[in-house]
Amino acid sequence: MSTSTGDRNPPQDTSSGPGGSASSQTSNGGYNTQRTGQGAQYSDELDNSEDLVSEVEEEEMPEETEEEYQTKQAVLKASLPFVHQYGWTKKAIVAGAESLGMPSMVHGMFPRGGAELVFYFYEESNKELESFLKQKVTELKEKDEKIKTGPFIHDAIETRLRMIIPYIDKWPQAMAIQTLPQNAVQSWTNLSRVVDDIWFYAGDKSNDFNWYTKRGSLAAVYKSTEIYLIQDRSEDYTDTWNFLENRLEDVVSAGHLARNLQETNTVLSEGAKGFCVMVSQVPTIPKPTEPNRNDK
Amino acid sequence: MSFPLICQMSIRRISQRAKDEKTRKLLSRIIRVDQAGELGADRIYAGQIAVLGNTPVGPIIQEMKEQEQEHLETFNKLIVEKRVRPTALLPLWNIAGFALGAGTALLGKEGAMACTVAVESVIGEHYNSQIRDLMEDDPEKHKELIKKLSKFRDDELHHHDTGLEHDAEKAPMYDALSQVIKVGCIGAIWLSERI
Repeated sequence: MSTSTGDRNPPQDTSSGPGGSASSQTSNGGYNTQRTGQGAQYSDELDNSEDLVSEVEEEEMPEETEEEYQTKQAVLKASLPFVHQYGWTKKAIVAGAESLGMPSMVHGMFPRGGAELVFYFYEESNKELESFLKQKVTELKEKDEKIKTGPFIHDAIETRLRMIIPYIDKWPQAMAIQTLPQNAVQSWTNLSRVVDDIWFYAGDKSNDFNWYTKRGSLAAVYKSTEIYLIQDRSEDYTDTWNFLENRLEDVVSAGHLARNLQETNTVLSEGAKGFCVMVSQVPTIPKPTEPNRNDK
Repeated sequence: MSFPLICQMSIRRISQRAKDEKTRKLLSRIIRVDQAGELGADRIYAGQIAVLGNTPVGPIIQEMKEQEQEHLETFNKLIVEKRVRPTALLPLWNIAGFALGAGTALLGKEGAMACTVAVESVIGEHYNSQIRDLMEDDPEKHKELIKKLSKFRDDELHHHDTGLEHDAEKAPMYDALSQVIKVGCIGAIWLSERI
C-alpha cells in the first residue's frame, strides 16, 4: 500500500520537511504514509500495524493529523503572495504549492478551493489581533492604567482592518466568497472570534444576554466598516476610521437609550402598580353615610 | 493525560490541538447548561415564594433559593473565567422558571414541593452524568470543577429530599405533574447545551 504513493512523494524529495513526510488523503481511502527506505526492513510488522491503523481510520474518519495540518498551513502561507495575481482561487494555492516544490496535485487537500485561502488568511489575522490585544492589555497593566473601552475597541478594530489593506485589491472577492452558503458557517465563526476576542480583552465580564448584544453590535460595526473600507479612496483611509468612530458612537448612544428606556419602564411600572393598589383600596373606603332625611 | 488517552492518541494520531478542542467544547457545554439550570431553579423558587412567601413553608423555600443563588454565582464566575458563551435562551428560562414556580405554587404547598422534587431529581442525574463525562475526559485537569459539581449535586439532592419531606407526593395529579415537569427540564437542558 505504501508503494502506490511512490510517485507522489519520491523518497529523494528534500524540499520542505512536512511536505516530504506528509500523508495525504488518497483516493483508495485511509492514510498511506511514506515508508520506503528506512522502514523497509520492518515492512512485515509495519504492514500489519498499518492495516490495523487504516482499518480503524477507515471506520471512523479521523480528524486530520498534526503533520497534515502543518503541511496545509505551509502551502496556504506560501500561496498568499499569489493572491494579487490569481485572486483567492485554487490557482493561487497551486502556485503557492509549486513555489514550495510540491506537486500541483496538493490542491486536492483543499476541497473548498479559494475559500480555504480566505479562511487561512482570516484566521491568521485573528491570531495576530489576539496577540496585539494581549500585548496591549499587558502594557496597560504594567502602567497600572485602566482600560478605556471606547478607544480600546476603536484601536482593536482599526488594527484588524488594517491587516486587510495589503490585500485590499482582491478583498471584495474574498468577501463574496465568504457569503456563499457553503462558507457561511465558517465565516460566521471567524467573525464571532474577532468580536469575542475584542470584548474579552477589553474586559467584558457579562454573563447574561448582554453577552450577545455586545458582540452583535460590535459585529455589525466591524462588518459595516469593512464594507466602507473597500471603497474608501482617502489618504491612509482616514475616512474609514472616522466612519468607524461614528458607528461606535451610535452603539454607545443606543446603549444609553436602552438604559433610559429600562429606567422609564421601571418608573412607569411602579406607577402602574401604585395605581392598582390605590384602585383596589377604593372598596374599603367607607361610604359616607347619607343624612337621614326623615330626621329632624 | 490518562493512559487510555495516550493510547488513543498514538494509535489514531489525533493531534493535541484536536484533543484540546474536544475538551474545550465539553467544558463549554457543561458550564453553559449549568448556568442556565441554576438560573432556572432560582427563578422557580422565586415564583414559589411570590405565591407561598407568607405561608409556613416560605422560609424553607427561601433557604433553598439562597443556595441556588450561590450556585448561580459560581457559574456566572466560571462563564467569565473560562470564556464560555452563555445560552441565548436565558431570558426565556427566566420567564419560564418563574411561571413554573408560581404555577405549581398555586396548586398549594404540595404542588410547589412536587415541582421541586421533579426538577431536583432531573438536575441530580444531570450533574452525575456531567461528572462522569469530566472524569472520562481528564480527571486531574477537571478536579476543581468535579469537586464543585459534586457539592452542588449533593445540595440539589438535599432539596429533593426536603421536597419529599414536605408532602410533595400528596400533590394533585402528582405522577402526571412530575412527569411533565421532568420532560420539560430534560428538554430545556438539551436546548441549553446547544443554543
